[in-house]
Amino acid sequence: MSSVADLGTGQRFLGMRRDYSRLLSRGAVLLLLTLGIYRFWLMTDVRRFLWCHTEIDGETLEYLGSPFELLLGFLIALTVLVPIYGLLFLSMLELGPVGELSGPLGFLGLAFLWQYALYRARRYRLSRTVYRGLRFSQTGSPALYSIRALLWWALTILTLGLAYPFQLARVERYKMRHTFYGTQVGRFDGAGWRLFLRGFPLWLLIVAPIVLAIGSFAAVDWDALGKAVGQGGEDVMGRVEGASPGLGGAIVLALLMLGLSVAMGALLYPVFQTIVTRWWLSGLRFGALTVRSKLRIRDVYRAYMRFLWYAIVFSIVLSLLTVIVAVGFAAISTKIPGFTDVGGAALALGGYVVAALGFSTIYRATVLLSFWQLGLESIQLSGAEMLDKVAASVRSGSPFGEGLADALNVGGY
Amino acid sequence: MSDIAASTFGDGVYFDGRVSTRRRVRVILTSSGLQIEDGDGRLVENWPYDQIESLNAPESVLRLGRRYNVRLERLEIADDTLAAAIGDRALQLDRSGRLHRRQQLAVVIWSLLATASLVALAWFGVPALATRVTPYVPVAVERKIGTAVDPQIRASLDTKHAGAAFECAPGGDKPAAHAALAQLVRKLENAASLDVPLSVAVVHRPESNAFAIPGGHIFVFEGLIDKASSADELAGVLAHEIGHVAHRDGTRAILQQAGLSFLFGMMLGDFVGGGAVIVAARAVLKSSYSREQEAAADAYGVALMRKAGGDPRALGTLLGKIGGATEPGMKILRDHPDTNARIAAINRLSLAAFPSVPFLPNEDWASLRGICKG
Repeated sequence: MSSVADLGTGQRFLGMRRDYSRLLSRGAVLLLLTLGIYRFWLMTDVRRFLWCHTEIDGETLEYLGSPFELLLGFLIALTVLVPIYGLLFLSMLELGPVGELSGPLGFLGLAFLWQYALYRARRYRLSRTVYRGLRFSQTGSPALYSIRALLWWALTILTLGLAYPFQLARVERYKMRHTFYGTQVGRFDGAGWRLFLRGFPLWLLIVAPIVLAIGSFAAVDWDALGKAVGQGGEDVMGRVEGASPGLGGAIVLALLMLGLSVAMGALLYPVFQTIVTRWWLSGLRFGALTVRSKLRIRDVYRAYMRFLWYAIVFSIVLSLLTVIVAVGFAAISTKIPGFTDVGGAALALGGYVVAALGFSTIYRATVLLSFWQLGLESIQLSGAEMLDKVAASVRSGSPFGEGLADALNVGGY
Repeated sequence: MSDIAASTFGDGVYFDGRVSTRRRVRVILTSSGLQIEDGDGRLVENWPYDQIESLNAPESVLRLGRRYNVRLERLEIADDTLAAAIGDRALQLDRSGRLHRRQQLAVVIWSLLATASLVALAWFGVPALATRVTPYVPVAVERKIGTAVDPQIRASLDTKHAGAAFECAPGGDKPAAHAALAQLVRKLENAASLDVPLSVAVVHRPESNAFAIPGGHIFVFEGLIDKASSADELAGVLAHEIGHVAHRDGTRAILQQAGLSFLFGMMLGDFVGGGAVIVAARAVLKSSYSREQEAAADAYGVALMRKAGGDPRALGTLLGKIGGATEPGMKILRDHPDTNARIAAINRLSLAAFPSVPFLPNEDWASLRGICKG
């Protein structure tokens, strides 16, 4: 019997971009034709592709899940969600406090289920991931996780995003503390303040214009403005302008600054993603095994450029198709009375679905695949010897969370 | 069988499923199964051919496991010839991928058929079901729905008059106008004898439009009163809307929409932002069934006008005036069937009987016209 540790050849992604694109576009067509029923099969195929082409320390991952499990999870989730939706619908018709509270309560309930589902779905994916003949698994309480995650989200929103690094660190720590490879428990060592320092300049660039815009409204005479609006009747705007001459300028400045902020956000988003991914990967631990990522910003920008290029080509093709269909449509509607209503709406619906599906497929085949590949290949492992002597454990996850996530529109890999 | 003999053994990598240790092994193909031996020639495992299965792996590797095994034992073979030889002996491994493709085809075909039957259910089943269920919705519930929906409708219509009063409400400086409106509504209501009391609100909107929501709430737009040249025309449109109230079309629409959003919302799931698709799907399905309901409301309106002593053709006259100038996004006119066909149908139903007396005295109609002015 010989144990071979010398095969460790680093991390590689073995899949071909062309094969993945073919898988996705075929899947998109089938999704369209089957009103989305095919998604369980597509999701499984996508994972099988990504997992088996992911080589870590000389060995590839294996995805053990089946589409039937996803379908089952979906059905279970349906059983849970149908009565909840029904109750929400009924209570919204109620008058008084019940009707008024049903909106916020329903929102809170669905938000809870959303995070709950994300945690359970992670458990399912981990439990269907095999590496060197051993499963991954996850323990921990999805309900507790969900409450924590929601409280952190509230804090992040209240602090205009400043708490986000600490949220990520805490939430990731909880997840990894409950993540196992065989019997080896995981750990997350990424520090929130480190991510905070990296991300703070980005935050300033995006938030500063908004603060400036709000500041410019301070010069406006609010009392006079309130009176002008309160009077009612015609020409409200005329009186508003008379009451506070600074308002027009403030609005223009605010719009400009808002535009600047949005543009900054769009341009800097890849930088943000790179920083977060690098930080996250570098924080992963399994016992003595430590991960270090050197993901480069320019590679991520390249992935986005590729997305833009394909998206532009797709948009041109789509507009040409739209013109052709519209001409044919006009020809038919002159012959059949009443065709315009139904046909027009059906056409708009079809166009919307094709466009949305097309762009999301391009996004998956470019940005998301690149992220997977770049993230994987940017990894350096140390202490990888431990990978050779981990013992198996017996734990398995149910696909319920995944089904819930699916029914609540929170998919992922 | 010399080709098989040539490849009856080769190298592989084995994981025992207990520990993650990678072991180099020698694989020997016997007549009944696959023998796995370690470097010292000791037998580690013996897998019968009919118990092995092929697992998710990159193209260059054949990854095998043993069926019905709690331990995830894995044997990986990178040697193409050896992999082919195993495939020849264990046909269920499906090395050519034929079984897999056949299974996928079945999934695709059955999904397509399921989709077709789903669409058929949405198209025929849900409206039919809503029509059957509507009569059993208690009037009290319908009125409750109306009271709950009313403020939402107002909020969504009231876009321009921030700060100013949206409804041309009674209690202002136009008592005569409101008295005239009340008289007009009372005449129609007495003739109609409905289960629910009517409440008619005139609102500040420039479009020529009117619509009814469940529970007898009717909204009349200022633009419609501007377009009407007689009390009979306004009464005709109101009679049409009372038709919707009497037929409980609003309640039926809500039942139908609830049914559709359940059906599609749940099925579509996370495939590209389900929400917008559901809304659009509803619009498609809605415009196809509103036709008969509009025709029925027209017929009801004509009958009601005759009963109340008004000119039944006046609805058609007003429709002719506003038919061409439809504002985008407004419900009533977009949903209505071809205007000329409707006017013809209204005139046909009206027969020759129409009175010489106007629906309201001229001075009342004159003050009603100014209900939103000033």
